Amino acid sequence: MSISRPKLFVLLLVTLSLPALVFPASVYETQPEFLSRAFSGSPPEPDILWLSGDRKSAVRQLLGHDYSALRLRYWCQQDRSAWVLEEIGKELPITVGIIVERNYIRNLRVLTYRENRGGEVATAAFTDQFNNAVLEENQRLDVPIDGISGATLSVQALTRLAAMALFLHTESECNDGA
Amino acid sequence: MARKKPPPSAMRRLHRSFGAGAAIFVLFMVISGITINHSNGLGLEHRQVSQPFLLDWYGLGKPDKVLSFELGGDWLSFAGSQLYFNEKPVATITDGVGAVVSGDLLIAAGQDELLLLDHDGNLVERLPWAAIGATPIDAIGLDENTNVLVRSSDGLWSSDADLINWRQSEDGMESPRWSTAKTAGEALQKAINSAYRGEGLSLERVILDLHSGRIFGSIGVLVYDLLALALGFLSISGLVLWFRSRRNGKPKSRRGKGRTQ
Repeated sequence: MSISRPKLFVLLLVTLSLPALVFPASVYETQPEFLSRAFSGSPPEPDILWLSGDRKSAVRQLLGHDYSALRLRYWCQQDRSAWVLEEIGKELPITVGIIVERNYIRNLRVLTYRENRGGEVATAAFTDQFNNAVLEENQRLDVPIDGISGATLSVQALTRLAAMALFLHTESECNDGA
Repeated sequence: MARKKPPPSAMRRLHRSFGAGAAIFVLFMVISGITINHSNGLGLEHRQVSQPFLLDWYGLGKPDKVLSFELGGDWLSFAGSQLYFNEKPVATITDGVGAVVSGDLLIAAGQDELLLLDHDGNLVERLPWAAIGATPIDAIGLDENTNVLVRSSDGLWSSDADLINWRQSEDGMESPRWSTAKTAGEALQKAINSAYRGEGLSLERVILDLHSGRIFGSIGVLVYDLLALALGFLSISGLVLWFRSRRNGKPKSRRGKGRTQ
């Protein structure tokens, strides 16, 4: 099969232009959609958890740095809590929705991914690894999370957020089955 | 009589042209590449670029517009996509609309989000407006009980004292005091302009962008790709010429040497 010169030139131009394209943020699920899914269509009113004192120190230990805000909004119904957290993967924040129930992760979903590369962390094949994970005494998840080549920083960011959500659940009203 | 030198082949002519053209590019890539490799040691990340033409090139000129709001002795200002607490940059926010103070919190409103700060300028919470209303924020203000009000094209929203829960209000039910911008003092304006221009560009960033061609935008990347292809062509044409000279028996330099004897 032969390709004419003009077609070859156009193909070359398109190929060379690919690295210069700017990728917009990918929204996989909005916050209202996530909350609706977390609480079967009727999410409760939000509660607030302040990150101060020992709680702030514990979060700093889990993340390796202070969280970007001083208070967090969460949603609690019986012993189930839902969290919308952000953490920077390489350069831009990844927004993640995490559902915790009785100290187990029930579901983790990437809501918004903003980096150009590494979007594979948003696939269910990856995020399902977090299902049923619990936080061990050493503040690490009890399940190994397989990495993704080319998305190491995003994988680490999601793993840190999963641990953070499990810790925050124990600090929340939900821990008592409120 | 000396034998007339045969004209160089097309491959050799192309190899020479590409080689001469790529030489400067290769030298530049080598120098910038070595500099980037030793960026940490040279402290390039912490050295700020202050040349006006470079700052302008990066779009870091003076902000087109600075919107400032006075909140009980402190100022919140929107410049570009940056929010300033007095002269200190505190967070990114796009399309600033207004700012109010309610209790222990300062609230800055962009079209798509609310930023809650404490009275030291620390970010308390970033609240995406899409989680509450369906349309962008047009204005922010306070009702008679100093509860925060937000106006958007889908109606009027009011919050509780802690800005946790929001409910939609009917127009005319409140007597809102909408936030309006004021002219900040000259010293503050100067400090914001200086912070806006000066802290956004490191020397490392400039060299990285020169090395990748991104400093010239997508066209620069395209040109660098073409130059990289030229280097690839040089490698291939060099190999082809080398194999040809081997196939012809002796290397050309030896043939030349033989003719002089």
